[in-house]
Amino acid sequence: MTNSIPEFETDSNCFLIIGSNTSEGHPLIATRVLRAKQRGAKVIVLDPRKNQIGHWADVFYTFRPGSDVALFNGLLNIIITEGLADQAFIAERTENFEEMKALVAEFPAERVADLTGVPVEGLYTVARLYATQKPAAILYAMGITQHTTGVDNVKSVANLAMLTGNLGIPGGGVNPLRGQNNVQGSCDMGGLPNVFPGYQPVTNPETIAKFSKAWSSSLPTPNSPLSNKIGLTVTEMISAAGEGKIRALYVMAENPMLSEADINHTRHCLEKTEFLIVQDIFLTETAQLAHVVLPGASFAEKDGTFTNSDRRVQRVRRAVRPVGDSWPDWEIICHLAGKMGAGGFDFVSPQAVMAEVAQLTPSYGGITYERLEELGGLQWPCPTTEHPGTPYLHKNRFSRGLGHFFAVPFKEPAELPDQDYPFTLTTGRIMFHYHTGTMTRRSKKLDSEARQAYLELHPDDAQKIGLNGSRRVRVSSRRGQIELNVRVTERIKPGVVFIPFHFAEAAANVLTNLAIDPIAKIPEFKVCAVRVEALSGTEHRGGTDHRSGESERRTRRDE
Amino acid sequence: MEYHNVLTTCPYCGTGCALHLQVLDHQLVGVLPAKNHPISQGGLCIKGWNAHAFVNHKDRLQTPLVRKGGKLVTATWDEALALIAEKLSALKAESGPDSIGVFASAKCTNEENYLIQKFARAVIGTNNVDHCARL
Amino acid sequence: MSERLTALRETIRQILPQVDGVIGLKTGPAGIVAPYLFKPGHPEMLDSLALWPKEPVPDTLKIIQKAYPNARLAIVCRGCEERGVVEMFKHAQVSLENLTLIGLQCVQEEALFCRCAKPYTVHARVTVGSPIAGVPDPLTEAFAAKSQAEKLAFWKEQFQHCIKCYGCRNICPQCFCNVCALEDEKWVETGRLPLPNPSLYHIIRAMHMTAKCVACRECEETCPAGIPLAIHFRLVARDVKEMFHYETGAVIEQKPPQLLTLEEGDYERSGLP
Ligand code: SF4
Ligand code: SF4
Ligand code: SF4
Repeated sequence: MTNSIPEFETDSNCFLIIGSNTSEGHPLIATRVLRAKQRGAKVIVLDPRKNQIGHWADVFYTFRPGSDVALFNGLLNIIITEGLADQAFIAERTENFEEMKALVAEFPAERVADLTGVPVEGLYTVARLYATQKPAAILYAMGITQHTTGVDNVKSVANLAMLTGNLGIPGGGVNPLRGQNNVQGSCDMGGLPNVFPGYQPVTNPETIAKFSKAWSSSLPTPNSPLSNKIGLTVTEMISAAGEGKIRALYVMAENPMLSEADINHTRHCLEKTEFLIVQDIFLTETAQLAHVVLPGASFAEKDGTFTNSDRRVQRVRRAVRPVGDSWPDWEIICHLAGKMGAGGFDFVSPQAVMAEVAQLTPSYGGITYERLEELGGLQWPCPTTEHPGTPYLHKNRFSRGLGHFFAVPFKEPAELPDQDYPFTLTTGRIMFHYHTGTMTRRSKKLDSEARQAYLELHPDDAQKIGLNGSRRVRVSSRRGQIELNVRVTERIKPGVVFIPFHFAEAAANVLTNLAIDPIAKIPEFKVCAVRVEALSGTEHRGGTDHRSGESERRTRRDE
Repeated sequence: MEYHNVLTTCPYCGTGCALHLQVLDHQLVGVLPAKNHPISQGGLCIKGWNAHAFVNHKDRLQTPLVRKGGKLVTATWDEALALIAEKLSALKAESGPDSIGVFASAKCTNEENYLIQKFARAVIGTNNVDHCARL
Repeated sequence: MSERLTALRETIRQILPQVDGVIGLKTGPAGIVAPYLFKPGHPEMLDSLALWPKEPVPDTLKIIQKAYPNARLAIVCRGCEERGVVEMFKHAQVSLENLTLIGLQCVQEEALFCRCAKPYTVHARVTVGSPIAGVPDPLTEAFAAKSQAEKLAFWKEQFQHCIKCYGCRNICPQCFCNVCALEDEKWVETGRLPLPNPSLYHIIRAMHMTAKCVACRECEETCPAGIPLAIHFRLVARDVKEMFHYETGAVIEQKPPQLLTLEEGDYERSGLP
């Protein structure tokens, strides 16, 4: 996020929330937005489903999944033609405005209404509100990024914020809400194939030299340089493993068997992997395929830090000792490196690791455990131990200098509904579960809220497929099929169906399309074509048996 | 008889709420929100309120497991780590470092992510390191 | 504030040697406060003793007494917390035996923050600070003055913001049932957000707080959706006072009106577990 969560409550006067079911995905950000609304800020929500914030938003429209770029181009065009653009900001801080302007001129409101399903007056309302109620924050989540046009969507979001001068000010900005506790931190720490910690590119010779020197004791020979070849992404590694090009995979606390698109393909590849190491706290669907399983410790059993969506580095503290003979993941990696004869892994604590991180990562330079103890959280960039942290980015200049407007042509999703597969499937989260459900489905209260996958279907569509009061459906795509309960609801757009992806027994990702964005390599989870058939039979109740091992006491805080 | 609260960060979504783990005699007994925290301001969602619930679940992995005769069987740390070290070294020697891939994790700490990418890049010698940021 | 803190520290220091532990508040990392059990051997921990923000300490007492029914304990409690302990005692959730109440009197600004009618303790024999008079609750009064239709509209608007975190129930020291109606599908739909019928959840809780709510306002403070929940609990309490002449926490010997006492004899357990 360019901006901070507390600013939403104190500074923002308008929110454009798109592709984010904020109340369920990021509940305490949604309630922050609510406080802002209660002091008069305007809330605009655009989503294929009417989620909870959609209910209390000032303006809500559904739109066709995958038509995001058209929608943004339409809004940009209206703002420009109505003279609502921030001319001073464009002149001083940006480049390439004219090219973008020329392209969005091809997106008059009528055409955009056709492409997106948002009515013409709706487009005007949204554009005017967003452009005039400054500071305005754009909030988005995977609804923007999990597309073959994910990068285009993100560029479009940036265009909109720059056009209205909503960058570099408190309460404005472009704010991707990160889905997992430490997805931000994992990226910051170089858990990516193209960058070292702090986004220092592996292709930069100086960076290679810097890290080769710093890590020399860990290298096979002190002078062997680090690789400057960009590595493979998760999705690519899995496919490469299937083809035998990757012979060993070491998976730390990830469950691609449920989280990857097109699980049948994933299973095939992982089964073919010559040597699969999985380090996790439960025997996940992925761990079941492993050759070696290493028991890690949970968040309550180890020290460390997480970095949240607003770049805030915060402490994780050990409360109890790890169960059985499980070890904190950092200790496992250090021991393994030692076993392989590498130096440079003799850390006595996560605090010592952070000291090395701070040395090598400019944006984390001022982050120490002592400061975190005293201050609570620090938002990077925090280059020195005197630096107070950075609540919002791009204050007087962008990291690259001028902000670049992109002319983004509209492309349809990789797979569109057709006669055989007439519905558009979109996937997502629900309030009560988290990601692949490894933890939440083993938490009694959460499990008892939601034990089953379900399909959301519009009443008109229910009639079309002849559901006739049945509560079960079969959903199939070109990649696989699942059977699950159905919820008929007007919250979803006709022609679109939704399945939460947390449930292994009816895994939405059996159906999803592995088509990926050419640059970000993100699979298109949010759009694929499916067929829905009514099955006879009643709703399935109760969860899966293996999940219910928690203590039976039902007092409220004991479990 | 010992009771205290440990301030920590919610392990679920990326909002970054703070919560207290209530500890009685080295056992987790519940969660309390943290008043005056800049993000969560004394509140939590249902996931945060139940953040401690899976920690002592009976399915928690307690020892390393190694596949023998097609089945995962209990092993010692020494055995498991030695096997991995041997296998990875052999594969690296045979097919080069890029024949090995490493998944970092959005659920693990910064320190652990730092270490695993350092392991991949320095010890193995590959940039095949990624996590499910996109998923 | 700091005078009271010094006085409280001194009081606890004196009591510590006579008990197995004192429940109070402790400042932790980044100045964030949480309940803590101060132990006789470690008076130095009192350096981080805290007063504010208040925390649901009656529940801490329950957690510790459940594991150590015979422990000699003391608890630092404000007016609402003292009422909480008393009501939990009446419902057999905590024991008053072997328990010393250390009454902490609230100051004006705290009372205003809580909109509190009784910011003082009445049972504690050891007290710190001087009691002040209650302050009005403008939110509750403004609500009470509304018409029936306005009241309905008010709650309808508020309840649609509920994110079903169960925080209001979890944090409430007076919510201690083993089987909770709010988790029962017969009453409240599970697994749905927004709640298809949001008022139901809240009406059930309001009913179940009848003659139990001690007006500590913890529920309201923890509600991420900022719903002014204390309003309805306080109005229910007002009715209870009028109809049953019962005020929570006031008289230890007075039985709550909704409690049924069975005579000695043989009974068969049926229905709920
Ligand atoms: S308590 Fe809920 S909103 Fe807060 S970080 Fe945890 S999962 Fe996210
Ligand atoms: S004010 Fe709220 S938390 Fe306190 S006793 Fe009443 S209902 Fe429970
Ligand atoms: S605390 Fe607020 S949001 Fe949570 S369940 Fe209660 S009323 Fe709903």
